[in-house]
Amino acid sequence: MPDILSCYKWVADEAYIRSGSSGALDLNMADYKISDYDKNAIEEAMLLTEKYGGNTAVITVGLPDDTKGVKDALSRGPEKAYFVNDPAFADLEPEQTATLLAAAIASPIPYDIIICGEGSSDLYAQQVGPRLAEKLGIPCLCYVQKVELDGSQLVAERKTDAGIEVVAVELPVLLTVVPDINMPRLPGLRDTLAAGKKPVTEFTADDLPQGQAALLQTTNSKVASITRSSRMFGTDAASIGDLVQELKNSGVIA
Amino acid sequence: MAGVWILAEGLESGRELINIGQTLAREQNSTLTAITWQGDLNQELIAYGVDEILLLPALPEDEPRQAYIPIIVERARLDHPEIILFSATLLGKELAARIAGQLGAGLGSECSGLRWIKEEAALEMERLFYGGAAVQTIRCRQAPRMATVSQRSFAPAERQEGRSGNVIELPAPPPSPVRVIERKSRTQTAGDIAGARVVVCVGRGFEKEASLELARQLAQALGGEIACTRPISQEVCWLSEDVCIGLSAKKVKPDLYIGLGISGQIQHLTGIRDARVIVAVNRDANAPIFAAVDYGIAGDLYEVVPQLLAILQK
Repeated sequence: MPDILSCYKWVADEAYIRSGSSGALDLNMADYKISDYDKNAIEEAMLLTEKYGGNTAVITVGLPDDTKGVKDALSRGPEKAYFVNDPAFADLEPEQTATLLAAAIASPIPYDIIICGEGSSDLYAQQVGPRLAEKLGIPCLCYVQKVELDGSQLVAERKTDAGIEVVAVELPVLLTVVPDINMPRLPGLRDTLAAGKKPVTEFTADDLPQGQAALLQTTNSKVASITRSSRMFGTDAASIGDLVQELKNSGVIA
Repeated sequence: MAGVWILAEGLESGRELINIGQTLAREQNSTLTAITWQGDLNQELIAYGVDEILLLPALPEDEPRQAYIPIIVERARLDHPEIILFSATLLGKELAARIAGQLGAGLGSECSGLRWIKEEAALEMERLFYGGAAVQTIRCRQAPRMATVSQRSFAPAERQEGRSGNVIELPAPPPSPVRVIERKSRTQTAGDIAGARVVVCVGRGFEKEASLELARQLAQALGGEIACTRPISQEVCWLSEDVCIGLSAKKVKPDLYIGLGISGQIQHLTGIRDARVIVAVNRDANAPIFAAVDYGIAGDLYEVVPQLLAILQK
């Protein structure tokens, strides 16, 4: 029965992004959430253990204050959490996050399957999962939309640019999953209460080997401006006729 | 050869990488190398601007393309390329991230702009983040500087006369731990929304599956294809994931996009930002989609679409 470890990121909710002075990105009002695609990663671990048995845990890298995220993740079903946190772990880039995760996992944390979302809903770099697999030296399957287990063999369907590939691999393996693999469950009050009692193992920078220096420098971030006219038309036949005429004038319909 | 490397999956996407790759190589006074498994494209790639080909050998039928990773990593450790570019396809993004993981290299994902900053020896990359709500500019100074390049961000390179280049054959990779059991092509039941001139997209404003007929009729009247938002393909499963538009699904660039009953989540808007003209019909006048349209109608799609059809069919 497999040990399944799901990775998640606690991120600013993009719905709260505001444009500060001269279009600069303002996240001061932002609420935080578990990155959307990582909810699918946690859910898939739950579905697999409900079907095949085994153990589930979550792991994350973040700031010491991100305990709300740990509780949120545990309310979605996993039995325990590994919380890699340090005041220095702000705005990490994918290589740094993957290096920290790999070091914590090597400590060791037991796993047969590691599941990541296909990307985070903030950076959406889609790098941490594949980089982590390489650092652990285990096989990696990306964009997985279906998973089955047959003893120590995992069979997956993954999305490719041409269609679908059905692939088989011996455990251990790291998967990144696409959002349509499942519908994440909504935790109830009881799940939230139970989450507070589940074990959390913490790692800080002192527990891990020296981290990786940043390779990328963000020189600018600004709110993406939309420059469309937003001209509104009424719902009566004459107004709709005007809209059609407008579309004809702009040459997009004959 | 060091210089700029590209991974050419095919000629079409390869030409876009050649264009930007050659620009970057010239600014560094270096050369452009293409890694490819498409042996039949060697001379074509050279004719379009590549100076050297690193040719990967054919793989056994049951091996995935990812099997090439150790060979590419080994060669990069020998040759020390300054820059490595990939197309931001599913395969390109995975190969890039795994190779970057092995090399401990910085990688910009799905970049729409790339620039060489000579005085800093930095590759500057521009990309969207926060679901497309914001734009990030990043610089990478340590070689190999890596990027996946959003498709159609750069024009394809033009054929150049009288060019020549070397072809170097790379060794066969070790056997992959991943075995391919079956390959299925995408079902052709769905239209090709990525290449469609007109896209009619449906959202949660549709109350039942049967009313999608309204959208189909509109698409037909305009010679377009029908598409949907994530909840329609994922939650109610009325349409295939192949026609879902969004950040993590398809991105479209039609002449005309008509969104019906769509509130306008940022991830969806990111998938349509390059449409020429955007029209939306939605009951809620305060829906975010209206901030992203050229033309909008705040009204019930069940009343508006039949009238629209009547006018178009006149």
